[in-house]
Amino acid sequence: MKKHYFIFAGLVLVGILYPQMFPGYLSVAITLLLYAGWATAWDILGGWAGQVSLGHASFVGLGAYFVAVGTAHHEIAPWWSILMALVAAAMLAYLWGRLTFKLKGPYFTLSTIAIAEIFRLIAINEGWLTGGATGVFIMTLPEPFGLDLFSRQVNYYLALAFAAITVLVVMLISRSKFGYQLRAVREDEDAAMASGINPTTVKLKAFMLSGALTALGGGIYAIFLSFIEPHIIFYLLLSVQIALTAIIGGRGTIWGPCVGALLIVGSGEIFRTTFAEANMLIYGLLIMVVVIFMPRGIVGEPARYLIRRVYAKRAQG
Amino acid sequence: MFDYVSFLQNLSNGVLIGGVYALIGVGLTLVFGVMKIINFAHGDFVILGMYCAVLLNSLLGWDPYLSLLVAMPLGFLTGALLQRLVLSRLMEAPPESSLLVTLGLALVIGNILLLTFGAEPKSVNVSYASSTVSLGEVSFSMILLLAGLATMVVIAGLYTVLNHTELGRAIRATADNRLGAELVGINTRWIEAVVFGIGMALAVTAGVVLIPLLFATPTFSGAIFTLKAFVVTVLGGLGNIGAAIAGGLLLGVVEVMGASYLTSDYRDAYGLLVFLLILLLRPEGLFGKTVKRV
Repeated sequence: MKKHYFIFAGLVLVGILYPQMFPGYLSVAITLLLYAGWATAWDILGGWAGQVSLGHASFVGLGAYFVAVGTAHHEIAPWWSILMALVAAAMLAYLWGRLTFKLKGPYFTLSTIAIAEIFRLIAINEGWLTGGATGVFIMTLPEPFGLDLFSRQVNYYLALAFAAITVLVVMLISRSKFGYQLRAVREDEDAAMASGINPTTVKLKAFMLSGALTALGGGIYAIFLSFIEPHIIFYLLLSVQIALTAIIGGRGTIWGPCVGALLIVGSGEIFRTTFAEANMLIYGLLIMVVVIFMPRGIVGEPARYLIRRVYAKRAQG
Repeated sequence: MFDYVSFLQNLSNGVLIGGVYALIGVGLTLVFGVMKIINFAHGDFVILGMYCAVLLNSLLGWDPYLSLLVAMPLGFLTGALLQRLVLSRLMEAPPESSLLVTLGLALVIGNILLLTFGAEPKSVNVSYASSTVSLGEVSFSMILLLAGLATMVVIAGLYTVLNHTELGRAIRATADNRLGAELVGINTRWIEAVVFGIGMALAVTAGVVLIPLLFATPTFSGAIFTLKAFVVTVLGGLGNIGAAIAGGLLLGVVEVMGASYLTSDYRDAYGLLVFLLILLLRPEGLFGKTVKRV
């Protein structure tokens, strides 16, 4: 476990120095960090608790809309609206989970799509609340400590903080009692129940944490874009991107979602000119290859191999 | 005063569009019944059918219904091939693996269409596009009527194949009890390929039938159709063909009625709400038998 914290500290250090080294590539890095954070947050529910959600765009949208509508229509400072969004996201996840956690496997996944689609339709049609189909512009933002929230540098550090917080949360979870409960529920709900775990409570906690962290990223995303559209931010494809990033990297691993984000955002940049708007082609091909040939993901497979070798050696020695 | 004419008009439109939904749902439910996989690319197969009709129309000037002659066999072959090459590798894997692989397949199909045809919506102009058939005060759009008719023919054909041929008996046996089917000498791997082929052929047919009615767009609409197919099948109970037809008709009527009597902004939401309610209250479907869950 110690080595994970060393890697984490090293990566954060690299992250802090990055804008000095590559000041021209900040937007790509922001996208990368946001996806890494979202995929890690998704993984708390999808990987550690084993409940594959294809509705996480709802939480991105919730966070983004709280910030955008808060500043544009009600003059609420973004940090307050992000706080409100976190609470709202946790509440939403609680209700959502209460409603749908009795569904198993693919049925749960289908229900998340349906609920997320309903939120998208609400965001498009309820103009009095959300600004409607045209979206919301963020024209002015307050300047805390003289920082310009519109500048790429500040956006970058916000995204870095978001990614670092989510990874840190998952690192803390992975060795906590809660983390073991999550894995127990994922592997076998009945066995988990037999050992005194309430699966619904554990899954609800995971969903609330996952939803709140995703909404945090959504708020930062809104500041980064300074213009949000319901078609994009609540869209099924965003949910799919978040989920696939984590699954390709490796579900239920600490670094899997980050590796997935690096691979996908990176290859998206490289093929940007070749495929233009058809960038989801890469997701499609990668997920097929990964699920068929490396079911545990790009990080998960080698990690499993290493762990098995360690145990084999121990058994021999 | 209740307006019976517009009610009947809405009802007939709902039933006719519901017939096409049923056609899409039947393919999905057949595949689920036999292979126990949830095919996420089903809606994109529908879109493939649409583009097939668009392509044949722009190159050769064929009527969409004529292009069925090419689209259906092609859909069947592609489906069978996809099953043999890709999905057959996943038979032992957990159920969500097939969901993820077909989701990937959906993205690949959508984006290849986007690269080939571009993002702008495409459609086919037919001479009978605006003609209607009147029955008393209720008038039927010719396109919808033809779509409903084609759906009925295809579903009747499928029914005959499933219930009155040796192949159909083998398919039903595989769906009922895989091991039992193998014991009496049915090649279930071959049946699976055939069934996936039939499922894709049905989806492609629905796409061709829909093209005079709707625009084909490469990436967005596939997911919508997949979702509708799920709504249809879950309404009826996954794996049950008769119920999928009823589910399709119900979805069509709910959508059209909701759009005209409540608000059309939420047209797509009505089906989804019904879907969620059924998933939560009667997960085995409206017409499904209650099974003891293990």
